Amino acid sequence: MATNRFRLKKTPLIVAAAMSFVAAAGLHAGLIRDFWGRNYSSDKGIVGSLAPDQILLQLFGFREFLAGILWVRADSFFDDGNYDAVLPIIQVCTILDPKQIDIFSTGMWHIAYNFTDEEQRSDRRYIPSALALGKVGTAQNPNTYELFFETGWIWYHKIDDDYHQAVRWFQAAQERPDMQQGRRNLLANALMRNNQVREAMSTYAELLDAARTSYENNPTDFSGFQIRDTLENNLDTLIVRMVQRGWLASERKDTNLAGYDTNPPFDVDFSVRVTVEDPRVLLVTGTWNVAPVGTRVRIVLRDKNLKDAVPAGLDWDVAQAVDLNIDRDTTFMQDQLFVKNRRFRRRIDMSRDPTMYPISDRSKEYVVEFYYNPRSAPPHIQDKFGFNGEGFTDKNFLMRDLRKNLIWEKGDKDPQVPAYTAKWNLKEGSGDQPLLYTKLEFSRDQLLRRGEWRTKVPSAQTKNFDAKRVANVDESVIQVPTLRATTGDE
Amino acid sequence: MNAIFSIAKTTVGEAIRRKVLLVILLIGLLLLSIIPSLGVLSARSEQTTMISTMYAVLRFTSMLIAIILTIYMIPNEIERRTIYTILSKPVQRWQFLLGKYFGAVMALGLMIFLMSSIMLIMFKVWQQGVGLDRLLEIARQPLFYFMEMSLLAAVCIFFSTFTTPLVNFFLSIGVWGVGTVLNPLYKSIATNSGTPPFMKSLAQLITSALPNFANYDVKNPLINPGQIIENERGFFIYIVVYAIAYITGLLIVSILIFDKREV
Repeated sequence: MATNRFRLKKTPLIVAAAMSFVAAAGLHAGLIRDFWGRNYSSDKGIVGSLAPDQILLQLFGFREFLAGILWVRADSFFDDGNYDAVLPIIQVCTILDPKQIDIFSTGMWHIAYNFTDEEQRSDRRYIPSALALGKVGTAQNPNTYELFFETGWIWYHKIDDDYHQAVRWFQAAQERPDMQQGRRNLLANALMRNNQVREAMSTYAELLDAARTSYENNPTDFSGFQIRDTLENNLDTLIVRMVQRGWLASERKDTNLAGYDTNPPFDVDFSVRVTVEDPRVLLVTGTWNVAPVGTRVRIVLRDKNLKDAVPAGLDWDVAQAVDLNIDRDTTFMQDQLFVKNRRFRRRIDMSRDPTMYPISDRSKEYVVEFYYNPRSAPPHIQDKFGFNGEGFTDKNFLMRDLRKNLIWEKGDKDPQVPAYTAKWNLKEGSGDQPLLYTKLEFSRDQLLRRGEWRTKVPSAQTKNFDAKRVANVDESVIQVPTLRATTGDE
Repeated sequence: MNAIFSIAKTTVGEAIRRKVLLVILLIGLLLLSIIPSLGVLSARSEQTTMISTMYAVLRFTSMLIAIILTIYMIPNEIERRTIYTILSKPVQRWQFLLGKYFGAVMALGLMIFLMSSIMLIMFKVWQQGVGLDRLLEIARQPLFYFMEMSLLAAVCIFFSTFTTPLVNFFLSIGVWGVGTVLNPLYKSIATNSGTPPFMKSLAQLITSALPNFANYDVKNPLINPGQIIENERGFFIYIVVYAIAYITGLLIVSILIFDKREV
């Protein structure tokens, strides 16, 4: 129809259309896509872990709203003690709303701390996932301190080992402008535990300068006054300890260190015996020749060939993504032996938690490990042992090469790494890290009291164990060592 | 040009009279009005949830309006034979198609403007302390939704030149759905170390060739303030140029197909 029809020139139109599409595609690939991904994507990579049905949720843009509602639901599960139900919700919420810092921080704490057995021991198989949640959270929220701090706290408090990692995360938190003033001195504590005493002192000094300035500018701020006084006190105490523990003398290369408490090193004379009283029930007794109360020796029971295991621990930093489906056939129990009256005696009952301690047929052999790191000791014990165990020894079980003396050092800035303002390089510090470590081996049948062990009581002990030293003790009394000088006549 | 403008004007009038569009618009407005009261359900900052949910409602409603408005435009004219009356006048087919498209875009603009205004008013009512700067910031995203829906309307017009409205509805929704996850999907494929190079190239080709609606979702810094974005204005220019280029290409192809079509 249409008599007045104008004939279109096809070729120029086709060329124009092709040019338009090519221009659009080129613009998108060259200038838009990466910029959008860097600045407007709310996923920054974690969408890769979404299932197709979860991607569908994204289509309609209700992500933050759904995450909010789910998180409220998770809270009610948490109140009911239904912790298992909380885990998948945490994961979905962090995917739906990766800017929700509370979900990450609460989720990390929950995963690392709250899955406990009947005796309140945490299920440490989840810790790599808790740390991975911190890594994802900091990558998503690089401008705020909180998740850096929380990740550092898990290293410092929960793992309580490998303190260079805590230093790194606390340092990253410190660099964020919104870091709370009252939390800043934890970096100095972590530095001390990592035997970076000089850096700890510098950190306290810098914080004190800042706190003094802040208080001078706002003299009516009571919290500023408190922070300044606390820092002054912390710095004073640290300097006194540096002197008394012979640290300064040692740094000065003094030849005579005889007058210091850390010299000569004190032999803790560790010995232990482990008896399998019942299936999955251990009785651990032993000696530790330190009178003041406050020593806790780490005990670990694990599959002998456990993947990612290190002596008395795991490679906690192994996970880069949150995976809450842990390998349920593996066993990793960690507890502490509290020393009282130079002895310890601890009954560890794992029989009520077979899912946490499956002692499965995946492994026929198991090891019970004992570990003591003087860096983790309380201050009154470190007054004798020193910051890095200079005053600590054990004639049987002292190890100097079990853990490397590692230090994270800040390198050049790297804009490609949003989670950190600078690249960090891991290097070995000077000197070694004295530790106590030994292990005993058990078979699966022994731990489960099966086969020939149904009637026989399995037991293993160190060569130096003397049953008489741990027998007939009234554990209700703590013998407090006298602080008075003795003449020898008394 | 007059012919295109006249057709566009008529199309806007038709759009305003269509009950189904008004119902969708009404539902959108209603949802936008009640969203602030849902903020209490969230454990997060009320403002964040409110803004993000309002944007979601605005985008979803605009998408429905864009598709339903455009899929029937050309088929209805043919079915009711009103197209004969128009084309018997000194109006070319390409002018008719462009007029219809621009009319749809104007109607969309009007409806998005109405919804955005309600959204901003409700936001201001519930968040008393919010200043004009923040309101203007929040008003930025609807502008980009308008660009997105203009692109979607071009896609629908393109499909309507050779398919039935029902097929067009599903095709357009599918293209929009895929287009909104193209960027994150590409990112997942490209950043996954296990993806073979061939798959990466293919993903790059597909995400560049298909209309990418995710480009216009720039709400993240608005709902999570504090992010530093360099040269944002340049990016906005790029995405506007991208939309114009893609729409131009689609309209030219639509004109070529429509010109050949028996009506």
